[in-house]
Amino acid sequence: MEAFDALMGGFAIALQPTTLMWGFVGCFVGTLVGVLPGIGPALTIALLLPLTYHVPATSMFVMFAGIYYGAAYGGSTTSILLNTPGESAAVVTALEGNKMARRGRAGQALATAAIGSFVAGTIGTLALTFVAPWVVEAALAFGPAEYFSLMVLSVVAVSAVLGNSMLRGLVALGLGLLLGMVGVDLQTGQPRFTFGRPELLDGIEVTVAAVGLFAVGEALYLAWQGRESKGGEVMKLTGSLWMSKQDWARSWKAWFRGAFFGFPIGAMPAGGAELPTLLSYYTEKKLSKHPEEFGHGAIEGVAGPEAANNAAAAGVLMPLLTLGIPTSATAAIMLSAFEGYGIQTGPQLFSQQGSLVWTLIASLYIGNVILLVLNLPLVSLWVKLLKIPPPWLYAGIIVISTAGVYGAGNSVFNVGLLFVFGLLGYIMRRFDFPAAPLIVGLILAPLGEQSMRQALTISQGEWSTFFTRPLSGSLMAVAALLLIVPPLYKMLKRS
Amino acid sequence: MTPLRVALLLVALCGVAAWQVTVIPESLMQMTVGPVLAPGVIVAALSLFAVLYGISAWRGRQTDESQAPDQSALPGANTRMLSLLGGGVAFIALVIPLGFVIPGTLCGMGVARAFDAPLNLKSALICCAIASTFWFVFAQLLGVGLGPALPWLI
Repeated sequence: MEAFDALMGGFAIALQPTTLMWGFVGCFVGTLVGVLPGIGPALTIALLLPLTYHVPATSMFVMFAGIYYGAAYGGSTTSILLNTPGESAAVVTALEGNKMARRGRAGQALATAAIGSFVAGTIGTLALTFVAPWVVEAALAFGPAEYFSLMVLSVVAVSAVLGNSMLRGLVALGLGLLLGMVGVDLQTGQPRFTFGRPELLDGIEVTVAAVGLFAVGEALYLAWQGRESKGGEVMKLTGSLWMSKQDWARSWKAWFRGAFFGFPIGAMPAGGAELPTLLSYYTEKKLSKHPEEFGHGAIEGVAGPEAANNAAAAGVLMPLLTLGIPTSATAAIMLSAFEGYGIQTGPQLFSQQGSLVWTLIASLYIGNVILLVLNLPLVSLWVKLLKIPPPWLYAGIIVISTAGVYGAGNSVFNVGLLFVFGLLGYIMRRFDFPAAPLIVGLILAPLGEQSMRQALTISQGEWSTFFTRPLSGSLMAVAALLLIVPPLYKMLKRS
Repeated sequence: MTPLRVALLLVALCGVAAWQVTVIPESLMQMTVGPVLAPGVIVAALSLFAVLYGISAWRGRQTDESQAPDQSALPGANTRMLSLLGGGVAFIALVIPLGFVIPGTLCGMGVARAFDAPLNLKSALICCAIASTFWFVFAQLLGVGLGPALPWLI
C-alpha cells in the first residue's frame, strides 16, 4: 500500500506539463534511435549527459526512461521492415517479423510488436513498482562487503554469461576495469595511469567511452566493411495495422508469456534481453497450434519475443534503482547520470530521492501509453527514417557525437579520446568482444574499490570478510560458479 | 589485423599498464588498502586473460568477422576508415581557431566519404546543414557550450 501511495505521488509529478513534455521528447527520441540502425539508447543517453548541468534531475531521468523504453519499441520496426535488428535482443523479432512483412503482413507484425511491447512494458513496470520496495528492504542489510560481492557477481555475470565467448567478455571487462582506474585515487590523492596528462586526472568520462565505442566504433566498422552504402531492402508497409480476431487470439498469450520470461531474467544480475527473447521464441514455437508457420512468418514469434524484450527493459531498472548495480550499458550510463547529479544510488535512493524514483516509475507507465500512441500512427514516418542514405545518416551520428563530447567540457583532448575509443570499438566489433562489460567495468571499478576498502577497514584487513559473511559469501560463490561451470560443462561435453 | 595481433596488442597494453602500476606513488596515509592494490590486481587479471586469448587465437579458435561470409570488407577498406578518422582529425585541429560549424562540416564530409559519398558541393552543403543544426540545437536551445558557430564570431 505504501508503494501505491508513493506511486500516486509520482504520478502527480509525472503528469505535470513540463515533466510530461520531457517524457514525450524521450519517447519520441527513443523510438527514433531505436528505428535508426547504428544508434541505440546507451549512445543517446551518453550524448545527452552534458545536459544534466542544465535540466532538473527529475525531468532528465523521465526523458532517459522514455528513451530507454522507446528504443525497445522502435527496434522492432527496423527488425520487421529492414531485417536489420538494431540490437541483439531484436534478432528474434526479425526472424518471423521480416517474414511476415515479406508475406504482405508488415502492418500486423508491427501492431502485435507494439501492443505486446505495451502489455509487457506495463507488466514489467507493475512488477518493478511492487517488487522494488522489497528488494530495497533486503538491500538495507547490505554492508560494504556485500556490495563488493554483488558488484563482483554483476560484472562476472555481464561478462561471462552474455556474449558469445566468456574469455572475450572477461578481456572486455578487464579493459573496462583498467580504464575505470584512470585518474586520481579519491582516497589517497595519488594519480594512476595518467601518463602525466592533467586531462586524465579526473578519469575517463563515461560519455567519451560509450559514444566512442558505440557510435564511432560502429561507423568505423561499417565503413571498413563498405557494404552499408549498398543498402538493405526496406519492406513496404503492407497489410492493415488492425489485427484480425485470429491475430489477437494468437498474440495475447504470447505477450503474457513473454512478459513473464522477460522481467525476472532482465532483473537478474546478468540482465540482458537476449535470453528471454530466445526462450520466448522457442516456447511459442513449441506451444503454437501452427508450428509449420515458424520460419515463414508466425505472429506468435513476433508477439512473444517483443514482449520479452520490453519486460526485460523494465527488469534491468530493478538492480539499477534498488541496488545501484547496472547490468547493461544503458543502465551503466544512467548510473553515471545519477552520479552527475550527485545522487547516491543504492537502496538509500528510495528514501533520499523517493520523489525522483517514483516519478521515474510513474513516467514508465505514462511512457508506455505515449509509445503505443506514437508508434503505430507514426509508423510511416519511421519507415521514411529507414530510407536516409547511409553517408548522411552516419555523418549526422558522428557530428552529433563529436558535438556531445566536445560540449561536455570544451575539451579537444576528449574528442581525440573519442576517436581512440572508436578505434577500440572497431576492433572489439570486428573480433566479437562485447562492449557492455567494458562500460559496466569502467563505471563499477571505482565504486567496487571504494566498497572493498570500506569492507577491509571494517574487518581490520581481514580478506575473509568477503567469504565468511553469509550473504557476501553466497554472492561470491555464485560468481565463482558462473566462471567455473560453463567451461567445465563444455569440457565434459567435449570429452 | 588478426586475432593473434589483437592478443599481442593486449599484451603490450598490459606491459604499459604494469609499468604505470609501478610508478603509482605510495600513499603516506595509514590505510588498509593503498592506491596500488586494485590497479595491480586488475592488470594481473587482464594480463592473464590476454595470454589466454593469445593462446586461443594461436590455436585458431578466435573469431574475425572479416572471415565470415557476407561480412568481409570490400576493396578500399583502409581508405574509407582513414577518411572517417581524417574527418575527426580535421575537427580536432580546427575547432578552436574556426568555431564549430566549419570543422563539423569537414568532419561530416570525411564520414560521408567513408560511406562512398563524393567530396563535392552537395556533400559540403548537407554536412554544413547537419553541423549548423546540431550547433543551433545544442548551443542555442539547450545551452551546451560548443563555442561560436563561425570564426568571425570568435
